[in-house]
Amino acid sequence: MTRIKLGSAVLRGTVVGVLMASLMSTSALGAPPVDLSKWSPEYVRSIAGTQDFDTAGDCAKVTPLDYKGRLTFWYQGVFEGDPDLLRQYYKDFFETFRKTYPNIQLEEQALTYNDLLDKFRTALLGNAAPMAVRLQILGGTEFASKGYLQPLKPEDVGYSTEDFWPGAMKAVTWEGVTYGIPTNNETMAFIWNADIFNRAGLDPDKAPATWDDVVKYSKQIHDKLGIAGYGLVARKNAGNTPYRFMPQLWAYGGGVFDEATANPTYKQVELDSPQSKAALQASYDMYVRDKSVPVSALTNQQADNQPLFVAGQLGMMISHPSDYNVMLDLQKKATGTDKDKAQTVIDNMRYGLIPTGPDGKRAVVFGGSNIHILKPEYVEGGKVDEPAAKAIICMWTSPEWSLKMAYAGSNPGNLNGFKTKWMKERLDNIKFLDVTTSMLPYGIPFPALPQAPEIMNIIVPDMLQNALTGAMTVDQAADDAAQKVKDLMGGL
Amino acid sequence: MAPPVRSDEQGHATVTIVTGKAEARRRLQPGRSGTLRKIWEHRADYAYVLPAIAVMLMVIAYPIYYTIELSFFKTPPGLQLRDKTFIGFDNYTAILTSQVFWKVTWNTLIWTLGSTFISFVLGFATALALHRDFIGRGVLRAILIIPWVISAVAASYIWKWIYHSDFGIIGAVLVGLGLADRPPNFIDNVSTVLPSLIVVNIWREFPFAMIMMMAGLQTVPDQLLRAAKVDGASAWQRFWHVTFPHLRNVSVVTMLLLAVANFNSFIIPWIMTGGGPSNASHIWITHIYELAFGRQRWGVASAYSVLLFLILMTLGYFYVRALSGNERNEGSA
Repeated sequence: MTRIKLGSAVLRGTVVGVLMASLMSTSALGAPPVDLSKWSPEYVRSIAGTQDFDTAGDCAKVTPLDYKGRLTFWYQGVFEGDPDLLRQYYKDFFETFRKTYPNIQLEEQALTYNDLLDKFRTALLGNAAPMAVRLQILGGTEFASKGYLQPLKPEDVGYSTEDFWPGAMKAVTWEGVTYGIPTNNETMAFIWNADIFNRAGLDPDKAPATWDDVVKYSKQIHDKLGIAGYGLVARKNAGNTPYRFMPQLWAYGGGVFDEATANPTYKQVELDSPQSKAALQASYDMYVRDKSVPVSALTNQQADNQPLFVAGQLGMMISHPSDYNVMLDLQKKATGTDKDKAQTVIDNMRYGLIPTGPDGKRAVVFGGSNIHILKPEYVEGGKVDEPAAKAIICMWTSPEWSLKMAYAGSNPGNLNGFKTKWMKERLDNIKFLDVTTSMLPYGIPFPALPQAPEIMNIIVPDMLQNALTGAMTVDQAADDAAQKVKDLMGGL
Repeated sequence: MAPPVRSDEQGHATVTIVTGKAEARRRLQPGRSGTLRKIWEHRADYAYVLPAIAVMLMVIAYPIYYTIELSFFKTPPGLQLRDKTFIGFDNYTAILTSQVFWKVTWNTLIWTLGSTFISFVLGFATALALHRDFIGRGVLRAILIIPWVISAVAASYIWKWIYHSDFGIIGAVLVGLGLADRPPNFIDNVSTVLPSLIVVNIWREFPFAMIMMMAGLQTVPDQLLRAAKVDGASAWQRFWHVTFPHLRNVSVVTMLLLAVANFNSFIIPWIMTGGGPSNASHIWITHIYELAFGRQRWGVASAYSVLLFLILMTLGYFYVRALSGNERNEGSA
């Protein structure tokens, strides 16, 4: 297996300081339970398993364990691209909650990432929302700015603001008020198949250093082997698309606004900048010029890249550490010679840092989810059982469960989760976890704006599709997208 | 006052005795008395349908009213719906002057006309073929109905994989047989995506046309066909001069039902492509959904919906007329 000097790579990153400052820049920053300035795989290993937490005991201080109530709760749950391991942890969580709070009548409903926003918006219009909701990181500011959410900060459920990633706290803050608590935060990494690299004449143990290299490697793989090089994703209304394109956009020095800077103001639209256009050009080169990526990229999402990868038909992609477990699940389901082929792919699976832009800038989306409480007037029945809502929020955002619920695919929103024994176990069990935790300091949150979901789920994918289908030139597509963002910000 | 004297059709004199009050009321409201009397006479019938009318008012009339009202308001995506501002016909103007509207309208026309016409022709042809007696007819008829009875959602996912641009079944077969170097691009190409979706839609709904036309064929009088045959009419002449005229009304109804269903067809384009790539498969209904639920432009989406409603009502009018024509024909037969 490739040994990548991840710790030194982290230290070498020229823009890490700036990005760390971005993630840490919050007025509430006091003394976090972990030292973010020392963040490295070695540091994460050194703190894992150093502290025990009593989840039920801590949450009993927020809501007594014998509390009698009723709670309606929607959450962004597991979807087709998640491993079976994660499904089990979700099941365990709700079973444990019911045992811990036997008198709370919990009515939970899981929705997939792509369906949750639409359904939640519709429910809000009819004042039929649940009492509490766990949304994707993009959603918090939209609903907070519209006045649907109650103020809610970590202190309300027994934790401290400093227990959470400062960058994640930005995503739940609107006009200085905190409206939610992060449950999990993650950054993705770069995955490649060493066997394909080898057969294509590339160094099997070396990830492409820059995005320009990704374009070259993708072409080389396609030309030599006749398979797809890079797993480009450009489907509209799919969370996977911005998670894969934005790192490329930021690495080239572009952005929707100035969200990649230490103190973003979101005033100037940058989608039509030369740097942004260069990033779009790279995707165009792979899809149109070289035809080196899956043709189905326009209608596919990451869940469609996974079977391609395990079938040995795809050389590189961006994803979570959970993709290793997904590949294991897929391999188990394979039959005959396909099983052996899948095993070969798994044996040759390598993870590395996401490539940099031409100026050495490395970036990745600082993703995750948040949990919120609704205002009673938007809830079915007009009442919110706050103690019951706080009970489930306390449990989900606890060091124990914020770690377990993010076991395979993410990281605990509560930084104390990194100190638990389960983190230690996870570091041993989840292959390549080091790489994705190493990407955390490069994480850039999506713009903390109510308009962010439309920008990321519709305007950015539209820009990609317009350029990749030839409906517009790269310049026209970028200009068109920039204009749409300007119109949107102008209230149109 | 003397009671009015009238004569019936046979010339017999009849006397109608009415009270003074009733006569006065009748004279005051000469036009309404008949209607009111009829309503009163059928009061029990009205009472029976009242609950249904009340439910319809709640679930159909109010949403229609609210959609029309909302179409005159600006609903900025960053604000709650209650913060809407009245802007008159601006949403309609914005729609009619936008390039996307005309592109989506063109797509909708191609989608609706293509799907409706081809489904009908295919369904009709299949119905004619199955109208004859042959071994296995029942089994074949059952098999052909399958696309219509399976879930549209499931069908969309299956076809998405059949069409898949990298490892779809069609592509694999073509490449395997050496007929293509690489899998054809069905749904990731702006030129081929809409025809590809129309094929799926036709596959799904031609059995409906087939069933309708098979039912219609049962009504063609056999003795007329036999008489035409005795008179030396060819198969085509028998079809054109005997069968087809009898199927005119059921054909119109079938095509109108298909057209309405296709105008409103959401599942196949939304699941298979989400209206993409680059809006190439967006039809009105998917565009309205995206405007409302994806982009939260409730006002604009409502204006679109009102326009769509008007079109569908027009089709509905012709549908009712066609049905009335059927009833008249049956009545006169």
